[in-house]
Amino acid sequence: MNSSILTRRTLLRAAVAGLALLPMARLSVAAAPPGRGGSSGRRFVWILLRGGLDGLWAVPAPGDPAFAEARGALGTYAQAPLKLDETFALHPALTAAHGLFTSKQLAVVHAVSSPYRERSHFDAQQVIESGGTRPFTLDTGWLGRALQQSTRRALALAPAAPLSLRGAREVETWSPSLLDGPDDDLIVRLSRLYAGDPMLAEALGQARRELERAQSAQVAEAEAMGAEPEAAGAMDAPGKARKRAALRGDPVVLAERCVEFFDAADGPTVAMLELSGWDSHAQQAAENGRLTRNLKALDATLGALATGLGDRLDETVVVVASEFGRAVHANGTLGTDHGTGGVCFVMGGGVRGGRVHGDWPGLAPPALYEGRDLKPTTDLRAVLKAALHRQLGLARPALDAEVFPESAAVAPLAGLFV
Amino acid sequence: MTTARPTSAETASIAAHRFGLGEADLAVVGADPRRWLLDQLGPAEQPPADAEGFLSSADLVQMRKSARRAKKAAKQEKSAPRDQADPGDPQVGQQLRQGVLAEAAWRYDLQLHTRRPFTERLVRFWANHFTVSGAKGAVRPVVGAFEREVVRPHVSGRFVDLLRASTTHVAMLVYLDNAQSVGPGSRAGQRRGIGLNENLAREVLELHTLGVRGGYGQADVLALAQILTGWTVEPETARTRFTPNRHEPGPKRLLGKTYPEAGEAELAAALEDLARHPSTARFLATKLVRHFVADAPPDALVDAVAAAYRASDGDLTAVYQALVQHPLALAPGLPKFKLPEEWALTCLRLVGVPKMPPARLVRGIAGFAASVGQKPGEAPSPAGWADVASEWLGPDALSKRIEWAQAASQRLPTTSLPDARALATTSFGPRLSATTAQELARAESPRQALALFWLSPEMQRR
Repeated sequence: MNSSILTRRTLLRAAVAGLALLPMARLSVAAAPPGRGGSSGRRFVWILLRGGLDGLWAVPAPGDPAFAEARGALGTYAQAPLKLDETFALHPALTAAHGLFTSKQLAVVHAVSSPYRERSHFDAQQVIESGGTRPFTLDTGWLGRALQQSTRRALALAPAAPLSLRGAREVETWSPSLLDGPDDDLIVRLSRLYAGDPMLAEALGQARRELERAQSAQVAEAEAMGAEPEAAGAMDAPGKARKRAALRGDPVVLAERCVEFFDAADGPTVAMLELSGWDSHAQQAAENGRLTRNLKALDATLGALATGLGDRLDETVVVVASEFGRAVHANGTLGTDHGTGGVCFVMGGGVRGGRVHGDWPGLAPPALYEGRDLKPTTDLRAVLKAALHRQLGLARPALDAEVFPESAAVAPLAGLFV
Repeated sequence: MTTARPTSAETASIAAHRFGLGEADLAVVGADPRRWLLDQLGPAEQPPADAEGFLSSADLVQMRKSARRAKKAAKQEKSAPRDQADPGDPQVGQQLRQGVLAEAAWRYDLQLHTRRPFTERLVRFWANHFTVSGAKGAVRPVVGAFEREVVRPHVSGRFVDLLRASTTHVAMLVYLDNAQSVGPGSRAGQRRGIGLNENLAREVLELHTLGVRGGYGQADVLALAQILTGWTVEPETARTRFTPNRHEPGPKRLLGKTYPEAGEAELAAALEDLARHPSTARFLATKLVRHFVADAPPDALVDAVAAAYRASDGDLTAVYQALVQHPLALAPGLPKFKLPEEWALTCLRLVGVPKMPPARLVRGIAGFAASVGQKPGEAPSPAGWADVASEWLGPDALSKRIEWAQAASQRLPTTSLPDARALATTSFGPRLSATTAQELARAESPRQALALFWLSPEMQRR
């Protein structure tokens, strides 16, 4: 059962009348037919955790002799952390991630950071998304530039394309809506109305193209399934429930949607999701607290991507990172203040999973960055370069100069992929 | 943007839409648009004293606690019945939600009809500058009260008063965790082994005063965090209280100046100096110009506004005067893309929508804004909503505006359905483009014309 807005009746009419006379479906939902092969080739998903994930909370290092003292009250968990190896473990909420680690489909890179070394969220996010070395020196994103020369299409599970994807030739956007889609006559009139406004005209043009792709996919589906004129309803119940969940901000819905987009014939092959609310300054261990809920949501999101992709996870790479890590020591309120080194997850095909990559700097006081933060030993760009090389086929000159300017000294992380 | 001198009718149109919330008829602006704007300044409107549902932050925080206790008690009841001194009132949660709804409806109703739209725009600007967000559950009931208690009284006063009111408000102390911060060397810190939380200190420097490259470092964040220790929320009354035994003793060195131990008085002194800092003048001027005039603020205008801030020692009325009197501020063009909530609000304001039940009004505006990533009162971070078009204009975001315009134009009662062609002329005067006028004239129905008007560049930009 798909969750499209187009009714069976509409589909039947559409299939009969042909594309030219299609009634306009909603623009913002490009439903994909289930069970179709989708476009072949390698896929890439970039998940940005906004707010600064405490990497040492998500991936503690109980095997480090300095861990217990460095973390103090944040060194123990309500339930036992899930063991990864002799040094590291996962937060107990990350059960799906642990399963994927065990099956070697997920790797951890620890003590990671962008080149940014101050502690402002907004500057740090600008750097991690732009791919620059300093804040506000680039106004396009690394993933956008990586796609500049490519015919691949990109998808942002958001109402407008985030900075990471700016610079790509075309970025589709999707977020849930409960209203009816626009009618085609209005769209035609708007395209005349926006003749003198390039920004609005471009957004409208992209929205139209997304709609047309969705329609052709749906017509094909209707034909394939044999249309059922009786089963007409504005939106089927699971579809509606899912949209409501998405409107409440459940990222699992976005992950499921992402898989559907990937599966569509000629669909996008690069996607970006954002999860916000990681700024854990106080009581971060609380059982029903925000950080615990966020970790569960992240885990469910990774689980939904892995399950939804199934075998196709082998040709997909998912990278999860945050703008910075947090101070090693708990602050005065059982939370953590802004820090530097953090953690990054890499899931999917060809990943040398089941291991924690990167040089572990240790948590003894002299090993800490500025006496307070996990010292970064891996540049996040090294991880991203390795992933972009494998998934998009980009070579060093482009990665070093265009995707991540002034980064020739940063080599793709060795050993991350088989 | 060009600097060609606009005609007075053009200036009236620019003033009404760029600095206000749009006017259905530019006649209300009169012959001197700048005067029209400046005459609106002063403390902002408050809800009528007898209105229900507008409680103080303290009362609202108390109510939330009661609601949570009731919820917890109900849970415990299920597993094991247990006596509790104050089980809390299960009705209170409902009352709180009603209160939040009533407050949102009051604000929308005011902004749909106010004759002082410039002041309301400024309220929206400062509420965003000093973001407290209901994304953190404990703050949700008091986001509206923060605006009433902090922003509305001081919107045209001195910046330092606004800054002090914000920094010491219950909502801010809770949102940025200062309520829990304790000086490690204070009596409470020594006794209980608890300590600093630098969240509020960092954001006061980065987001409220100097700006991120305003010339402070980690040591300054720490010093301000120490100065802020003791500013907390009294558990019994949920009011702001300075608790001396949590305050870090000793002198603090902030931005090269030493503040001798002075307990409660340290914060006022530090905030005076932060408000007076040249980086603060520049940062606030840049944000104001970015909000009202251009995503890339012209230097000349920022310079003029920052100079007025410095010359007046942070008198916001003087700052607003410098802004609207500068030729660049009222230059022709449509340089800014309205954020979703403002766009929906201005659409309805121009039409003069009839009185609606609060829930419907709030769903109509806030529900739409939330669907495009701007859930009112729940900004994702203390930086508030981004104020540049690139964050808000994408294919999906535009699709949702089209869907909203289509649905809202269909649902409007026939009695309030305007002639969009006439409305566009009286509202935009000489700035209505030939393209828009032509498309409105060609529309197949009055409702479609209205949807097209709402979606026109003139309405989506300002």
